[in-house]
Amino acid sequence: MRRALALLLAGVLALGAGWIRGYAQATAPARQEARELLYLPNGRYLKLVSLGFAPLLADAIYLWAIQYYADYQRADRFRYVRHVFGDVIAELDPHYLDPYWLGALILTVEAGDLEGGLALLELGFERNPDAWILPYLAGWEAARFGALERAIAYFERAAAVPGAPSFVRRLPAGMYRRAGHLEEALRRWQALLYDPQSDEMTRAIAERQVRDLIVRLDLDRLREALARFEREQRRRPVALEELVRLGYLERIPRDPDGRPYRYDPHSGTVGTEASRILGER
Amino acid sequence: MSRHDGTPGLGGAVAAIGLNTFREAIRDRVLYLLLAFALVIILAARVLSLLTVGSEAKIIKDLGLSAIALFGVLTAVFVGVSLVFKEIERRTIYTLLAHPVPRWQFLAGKYLGVGGVLTIEVAVMSGTLALVLGWKGEAFGPLLPAVALIWVELLLVAAVALLFSTCTNPLLATLGSLAVYVAGHLVWSLELLQSRLVSGWQRAVCQALYWVLPNLELLDLKPEAVHGLPVSASEVGLAAAYGLAYAAALLLLAVVVFERREFAD
Repeated sequence: MRRALALLLAGVLALGAGWIRGYAQATAPARQEARELLYLPNGRYLKLVSLGFAPLLADAIYLWAIQYYADYQRADRFRYVRHVFGDVIAELDPHYLDPYWLGALILTVEAGDLEGGLALLELGFERNPDAWILPYLAGWEAARFGALERAIAYFERAAAVPGAPSFVRRLPAGMYRRAGHLEEALRRWQALLYDPQSDEMTRAIAERQVRDLIVRLDLDRLREALARFEREQRRRPVALEELVRLGYLERIPRDPDGRPYRYDPHSGTVGTEASRILGER
Repeated sequence: MSRHDGTPGLGGAVAAIGLNTFREAIRDRVLYLLLAFALVIILAARVLSLLTVGSEAKIIKDLGLSAIALFGVLTAVFVGVSLVFKEIERRTIYTLLAHPVPRWQFLAGKYLGVGGVLTIEVAVMSGTLALVLGWKGEAFGPLLPAVALIWVELLLVAAVALLFSTCTNPLLATLGSLAVYVAGHLVWSLELLQSRLVSGWQRAVCQALYWVLPNLELLDLKPEAVHGLPVSASEVGLAAAYGLAYAAALLLLAVVVFERREFAD
């Protein structure tokens, strides 16, 4: 009987405590957003007192940060991203790669802060020079913001990491082309095509890119010479050979299949019949 | 193993006391910790997929190694501190010491027993972690050096607990053992403090403490193992040799203290 009464009393007290807690939480005054982040100490200090459990502490803060940043309603939610991911988690566990790229993506994709995101990825790469994924992601983020020259530099760094996958080695060449540096892109693709370390897929892609870039560069040179010819001679050449004869070109190029480029003297346009060429001819 | 005069041989007495200590720890439901460990790891593996972005395996490895270390330290301290005290409290020490069993054999047996419990505990927890990692398609092998050094750390902490157990009551022994464990992970601060001190004797005290306290950070290879960073065999070997030598020194000290202790009825 006494035991049953004690149990009943314990149950009533527990329910009462639960109700008070709910009431206290519901009626608590609204706190300033990101208040809990304000007092999160730098990971360097947390690490010193972590008693050998620094990686576990980093995991816990990382899991908490994911839940925190998944709440899109928070005002001022991007203010401490660099602190949480760079100063706290990365200091606790410098080799933990996920927080670098997740923090960087929050900054670049959500906050539109390219510099902040790149700084976080740079920090990660500085501490993990074998993590090609970090400059690789930095390259794509820079490219997404139109900073193609920086993207090239990041892809170059990713490709230089020993053990980086073969597709990463193709990225600088591709980005040179996207940035409009066709001659450099051609040199890069040719280097990949003749590199004995390139795998079969890289060689196949490089071969196609080399053919395509040769045609693009030849057509550009021909069009430029034709335009100059027309401007200076006030007529169109009868045939492409006339460009060489009058000194506008050193020689008439041939397409990768060894055929001459198509020229229409009436419209003044040049084109190609070369096979396996991407896009406009 | 017994001698002709009826007294147990060196190995026999130590083994008998060790086995008895091991059984006692099992009876104290120490192995329930193993069940708690298995539940923590399996639940974590299930829940993490909902909470994390990126590699779950890294967190499972961190959690697993930390739990092995933490549950192990709790076992080493709580079993270790009661080793001698229980015998005194139950007055079984008088029966034991009435036999021709040298006191050092008694302590060696006790340590062997707690060492056995810790070994089984680390082995079972590691096996559970290996199974969970295998289920996630991850290898356990690279974590082995870290587990080996955790085991050495636990043996060292058990030796600290046994030393305290020979000279004080379980409450003080628990506080003392946990304090040494915490201080062992904070020895870097003594080095720092030493560089800030001007006075000669204060610096000397700091330096003495720095060398006397165990440097448990040396036995922590968890981050390297989890991230697959290169760790040389000599690094692991030196750390293990340091830990085992320190534990052996503590055991000898415990024997000296225990030999001098008088038991009044």
